[in-house]
Amino acid sequence: MSSLTKERFLDICHYKRPGDLCLCAGFNVFYYQTLKEWVKQGAPDYFLAETFYRNFESRLNAFFALEPLRWLYEVYSGLAYGSWVGKGSARLNLPFFEPRIVCEDERIVTRINPSGQTIRVLKESPDYSMPMFVDWPVKDRASWEEYKKRLDPRSPQRFPADWKAYAARMNAKDEPLLLNVGSFFGFLREWMGLEPLLFALHDDPVLIEDMMDTLCELETICITRAMDGVRVDAAMFWEDMAFKTGPLISPKMFRQFMMPRYRVITDLLRSKGVDIIFVDSDGGLNQLIPLWLESGINFFWPLECAAGNDAVELRKKYGHDAILGGNIDKRALLKSKDVIRQEVMSKVPYLLETGGYFPSVDHFVPPDVPFENFVYLINTLREVAGLPPLPEYRR
Amino acid sequence: MENHFIAISESVKNGDHEQTINRVKEALNRGTPALELLQKGLVPGIQALGALFKEGQVFLPEILISVRAMNRGLEVLRPSLADAEVPKRGTVVLGTVEGDLHDIGKNLVRMMLEGNGYAVVDLGVDVKPKVFFTAAREHKADIVALSTLLTTTMPCFQKVIAALEEGGIRGTLKVMVGGAPVSRAFADEIGAEGFAEDCVRAVEEANRLLTGRKEMAR
Repeated sequence: MSSLTKERFLDICHYKRPGDLCLCAGFNVFYYQTLKEWVKQGAPDYFLAETFYRNFESRLNAFFALEPLRWLYEVYSGLAYGSWVGKGSARLNLPFFEPRIVCEDERIVTRINPSGQTIRVLKESPDYSMPMFVDWPVKDRASWEEYKKRLDPRSPQRFPADWKAYAARMNAKDEPLLLNVGSFFGFLREWMGLEPLLFALHDDPVLIEDMMDTLCELETICITRAMDGVRVDAAMFWEDMAFKTGPLISPKMFRQFMMPRYRVITDLLRSKGVDIIFVDSDGGLNQLIPLWLESGINFFWPLECAAGNDAVELRKKYGHDAILGGNIDKRALLKSKDVIRQEVMSKVPYLLETGGYFPSVDHFVPPDVPFENFVYLINTLREVAGLPPLPEYRR
Repeated sequence: MENHFIAISESVKNGDHEQTINRVKEALNRGTPALELLQKGLVPGIQALGALFKEGQVFLPEILISVRAMNRGLEVLRPSLADAEVPKRGTVVLGTVEGDLHDIGKNLVRMMLEGNGYAVVDLGVDVKPKVFFTAAREHKADIVALSTLLTTTMPCFQKVIAALEEGGIRGTLKVMVGGAPVSRAFADEIGAEGFAEDCVRAVEEANRLLTGRKEMAR
């Protein structure tokens, strides 16, 4: 295994390196609570010392031989991985809302986050999974018009101040660069809440069209500016628009509201040479994948097993049209090593050999996964690829 | 079925709440008993939608607007139903287990159960096992329905079942579980009789569990 250069990443995506194991740091991700548990179980203390989401050269990634796929987080054009409590999930609204605590008791704190959502979180595990959403900034056309003022694509805060220096730094990197290109469902849900959004799709389609057009214009301007300087290798949408048995909206609504805007973005990206276009969505994606493919999106993660996603079946169905990531059942990691091995062997050898596959657990690694089991998973994946196990670690 | 029942069902199925209100009012003015309008008009509308959801012909937005239409129709009927003995299919105590604050799936299950004639006691999120037990005993629950989105809180299902057993009421009710990481195999493993993947199947599962209970009681 060599380091993850742009060329190697693109070759894997283009099915030119069958059998090549690439454990991407961007796909193998952990909750902070998971790392805390692992340190208790004997993992190095430095697991807790680094904000590994943004530290692509972190010792945590090096420990597991995870290879950096570098997100251009400094451009505020989409999702921000990080604390739900401290940062909010989206980095589109500029300026951010002033974070503040609304109320709290011994167990739960209710607060407004920088995205303008009112959220409730458990104090003991503030960053584990999503919080409970209590209120959202957009309720109707009037509040949308107010919110829209924070979506100026030309806001000076949206890009690093010294863009030329930043672009030069990014272009000097060997690793592939990935640009966030927004979302047409996920952000609307972030702004309105799921139920209000689903009602609005029926009750006020004009408002929804306006919100999506605003996003489309913002992303078009951001992509154009970002790629006027930085050599981007891949682009990422974030949607989270499915639940256990299927999509949160109908294919008809997808075609009506989302597909035309997706096409604007994906056509623009392809015109600039980016043909790896990724979508992050939890839930059952079987009905959504053909729609995304038709929209110009060709890379799917995390393919949650509990929601009926089967990467082997997807590869058989879509061949080299769909790049796949994830799909290692997190629930297997809660069980024995035999179960973990069975989970890996049932899909990973086939997927690696057919190419265009980036192995990872099918979402963030949860805190109940034992450290020893995750190490075993990584070593089993390395064994499949003919690589030696990770160096043995004893604290 | 009489035409106005069919018309009300259709307006619920289509999610047209204004039309539902109008049709319910018209039928009431013609002297149709409120209970019949509920049982032969509103409820079949929601049930028909459930079948379409399972077939993949409608999705959550359609479910939501139909539940809204049914509830608006029910608001019109409610004053006339006050004295009527509205039969309930059963009582469900529902909640997201301790340590988990997710409520979207649970809320959809509540809406669909209520729309299909169940009395639902929604305990909210982050609910302790003892609270499930107390509510189940107080409300004489037929079903305790447990939800979680997290693998870390799945073991709380067993704690609730243990609390029901310790309280001596486990044999009087059924336990149904659901949530993103939950499977039928896990339900079987922990001794929960019911499992549902989504809000529509939760209604079917509740119906199945209570049918089973009635058969056992005979």
